[in-house]
Amino acid sequence: MPDIFTLTLISGVFVAAASGLVGSFLILRRMALMSDALSHVALPGIALGVILHFAPIWGGLVFLFIGVTLIWLVENKTKLATESVTGVMFVTALAIGALMIPEQDLLEAFFGSVTKLTALQIGLQTLVAAAIIAFILIYLKRLTLFAIAPDLSASLKISSFKMQFVLLALIALTIAIGISFVGVLLMSAIVIIPAAAARNIAKSFNGFLITSVVIAILSLISGLVIGQVYSLNPGVMTVLVSAGLFVVSLFWRI
Amino acid sequence: MDSSKLLEVKDLSVVLDGRKIIDGVSFELKPQEVLAVIGPNGSGKSTLLKALVGTVKKTSGEISFAPGAKIGYLPQRFHVDFYLPMTVKEFLNLKPEHKYPLEEVLRLVEIPEAWLKENLATFSSGQLQKILLAWAIIDQPNVLLFDEPTENVDVVSQESIYDLLHDLQDELKISMIIVSHDLNVVYKYANTVLCLNEKMLCYGEPLTALTNETLSHLYGDHAFFHHHHFGEHHHEEGHEHHA
Repeated sequence: MPDIFTLTLISGVFVAAASGLVGSFLILRRMALMSDALSHVALPGIALGVILHFAPIWGGLVFLFIGVTLIWLVENKTKLATESVTGVMFVTALAIGALMIPEQDLLEAFFGSVTKLTALQIGLQTLVAAAIIAFILIYLKRLTLFAIAPDLSASLKISSFKMQFVLLALIALTIAIGISFVGVLLMSAIVIIPAAAARNIAKSFNGFLITSVVIAILSLISGLVIGQVYSLNPGVMTVLVSAGLFVVSLFWRI
Repeated sequence: MDSSKLLEVKDLSVVLDGRKIIDGVSFELKPQEVLAVIGPNGSGKSTLLKALVGTVKKTSGEISFAPGAKIGYLPQRFHVDFYLPMTVKEFLNLKPEHKYPLEEVLRLVEIPEAWLKENLATFSSGQLQKILLAWAIIDQPNVLLFDEPTENVDVVSQESIYDLLHDLQDELKISMIIVSHDLNVVYKYANTVLCLNEKMLCYGEPLTALTNETLSHLYGDHAFFHHHHFGEHHHEEGHEHHA
């Protein structure tokens, strides 16, 4: 059996690929900041996990799903401004979570705690990531059309309500499996930065998706390895690598 | 519904957010017929098309398509994000069903094959309309619903898209419903006209249905000067017609 770090790296490839794909659709739908805010809502769930001694990812996942359902309802069933409601709700969740988590665990929740992962958790994360990737590839045309031209997708009897929820559920799952790598505060970086960089470079849609996935994998794996070798926080290193790649993509465009 | 009709709409009403948008509209569409729906901005024209496509729910009334009817829809706005990385070919391939080979579709809408590799974001709104038209006909519809853009497309592009629609209609023998605020479209291309301003204010052949009285009622008296101009144009067209 390979050691736990090798398992983490393998899992990281899948999680990063899922993040890169989901992030591409978020960028197209202009939901980048929403996903950032959403990742914070996982914190109270993680706190429950820490306090009650179960894997924090489950608590995070439950709270993320409550979060996306609320966004979805606010967006479709009320006339409230989604952005402001999202902002208020998620900062509140962050504050409540921060209050609940013992101080020594707070930094890990914020910036990731990849070294604490068990083989079982790594396996589960990898499975969920593979499922996200498979789902996106199977429904690629519908998701793409919904993301770029909701009018056209609706005229093909693709329900906007359903598609929106599917997209939100994909975000929630991706955030849940990525949090252990990069933490609540940095999660959006692994979802958004690779896709944003890929958009600067790519000339076709397939190129966009592939580039986003490649940048996400490169960033996460480099972050994990640099973190391991130099005893630095892998989440922080992942974000810095991806941000560096984003800067490179800006020049690539010119 | 008898087989000579592709579409029959009876007493259709749409209420959105408590506001009546369309009130009691009835019409029908025969094979190869071109129906122009005209009316001022905000008169419910786009909503009518959306109700036909099913993206807006009707409040009451009936919309029945004949069993063989297949709809192609061109929405009013197709805003392409400047940064959207997608080629024309990738876009056209997003359509689930392809009945024509891509080359054939391009020929029909007069798009050069070189466009396929180009990025969607590099095209003007007029060119995007042609690409959308290709998208709409790729699965061989027999009813085309065209929601005219009211902004961002220059007059020359407008003319050419209508000429193109006309040619397509000749070649493919399809029916069309064209929504427009431009009366010229009616006289040039339509067999039937429906005037809409929440209620149906006229319906029939253009030369008999569109009286000056109907027009000033449709567009409101304050707009009379503007539409007086259309009226003159109508007159000229009428002469050409008789000549």
